[in-house]
Amino acid sequence: MASATTQEEQLIAEGTLLDPVVHKHPRQFYAAMRKLDPVHYDKSIDMYLISRWEDIQEIQRDPITYSVNKGYHEQQAKGFAEEFQQILREKGGGYFPDAIMSDPPYHTRVRKLMENAFTAHRVKELEPRIEAVVNGLIDEIEDRGEMDAVKDFAQPLTIRIICEQLGLDWHIKDRIARWSIAVTAQIGRMQDRAEMLEHAEQICDLQHYIIGKMRERQTDPREDMISDLVHAKEGDGEGSVLTFEEAVSLVRALLIAGNETTATALSNLVYILATQPEVLKKLQDSVDDDKLMNRFVEELLRIEPPVRALSRMTTKEVELGGALLPEGAHLLLMYASANDEPEVFPEPRHFDMERKNIIKHVSFGGGVHKCVGLALARMEIKVAARQLVRRLKNFRLAIAEDDIAFLPTVATRTMESLPVTFEKVA
Amino acid sequence: MSHIVVTLTQQDGTVVRIDDATADESLMEAARRAGVAGIVAECGGVCSCATCHVYVAEDWIGKVGEPDEVEDEMLDMVDHIRRPNSRLSCQIRLSEAVNGLQAEVAPDL
Ligand code: FES
Repeated sequence: MASATTQEEQLIAEGTLLDPVVHKHPRQFYAAMRKLDPVHYDKSIDMYLISRWEDIQEIQRDPITYSVNKGYHEQQAKGFAEEFQQILREKGGGYFPDAIMSDPPYHTRVRKLMENAFTAHRVKELEPRIEAVVNGLIDEIEDRGEMDAVKDFAQPLTIRIICEQLGLDWHIKDRIARWSIAVTAQIGRMQDRAEMLEHAEQICDLQHYIIGKMRERQTDPREDMISDLVHAKEGDGEGSVLTFEEAVSLVRALLIAGNETTATALSNLVYILATQPEVLKKLQDSVDDDKLMNRFVEELLRIEPPVRALSRMTTKEVELGGALLPEGAHLLLMYASANDEPEVFPEPRHFDMERKNIIKHVSFGGGVHKCVGLALARMEIKVAARQLVRRLKNFRLAIAEDDIAFLPTVATRTMESLPVTFEKVA
Repeated sequence: MSHIVVTLTQQDGTVVRIDDATADESLMEAARRAGVAGIVAECGGVCSCATCHVYVAEDWIGKVGEPDEVEDEMLDMVDHIRRPNSRLSCQIRLSEAVNGLQAEVAPDL
């Protein structure tokens, strides 16, 4: 039998993120990289995989050397970028680069506008509404004793909340689920040309929908985030500070980016309830303890980060983690690996709500690009956990663990569906 | 607008005196402008990251006030370094009433 070291060496020599086995069970690959090659060149996607927590921190502290703008847009529709952009220009109302996926100082301005919408205090005010939505969903499934946690719970919850915030009609929920997959696939590196064409068509549909709603709000502003963005002002400035193109990209980002990832976190929540009985027990015993529930949410995000990796591109030659990166090197920040590093998080596979450094996980990224919707995501997960635990019990996976399928993308770790059974709390 | 003076002690012991703070900013914003080490403020001041954590000097606690519920929950996350005089500096609005404020930057996580 090969020794552990040779196995790891072999993984480094032959493994790639595109390998279906690595894709499904990536932790061994992460561990091998952290140990033997923390800045690992993956030739199948032509990217450097950054696997250690400290190196990821260093990148996040320096948004100028490590550009999100270049990293993200280079990643987008990789291999078909020109054709993709052409389709959006011709049939989708335009190609709108993501204004939030940019570098300072431009980024600082855009970010400020988004932050105001998502302060922890504003999110706190949404708590009762989120609870009502969660309860409504549980009402629908509690007597059935089974559900697909992704389609019956996670997705409708996040879609409902973001639609209400943006001021969109709830009945577009099925389209949003399709749009989300299409947009996310653009940074996923696992679509072929036929899939790209199909996704591009979805994104055209999405953009036409958004543009229509934005035009309505231009003439008829309401109390919603689309109106806020269309009429965004800075200080005492006159008129909107965003171009229409920028605003389209931000509405698109709000509708998709936060939505898809939060839904993934909620599916992971149900997965943990169904597979970690001690964690469930602890929650049942302390469901009214807000402090413990907050810690539960952070540990859930650490142990199962929805976003497994996002990209950057170097703007100059730079040394990182003992390696010399050339200018224009395309990097993938492996959040899931950093969260799993035993030197930072002892016994990383143990779900431990008492961890001291519980918020050191990088599931929200970090630095100036740290997830702007983090307070909303945390609140949705907390309220969902609380109500699920109060009202349901005995969660079990209804399929074998190994049959859980994940979306084909290197960017997120998203279950396609998660059938579970449960009982009503008497 | 008249200026407000605040003094922050970094973890390395360096004392940073900021004498041009204004009433339209938070303590975090004044500290970031002055480049105070240890005030990272990753979330940009929306009470969601606890990387702007300070210990307010005893004499000033009364004037600065207690954290509200949302801030309290965030401070819970950094329990092991939390003290009775802990505050998130992005949640401290500067004003004439806190002119002269002194605080210490909390250690990194
Ligand atoms: S800056 Fe994030 S909590 Fe104060």
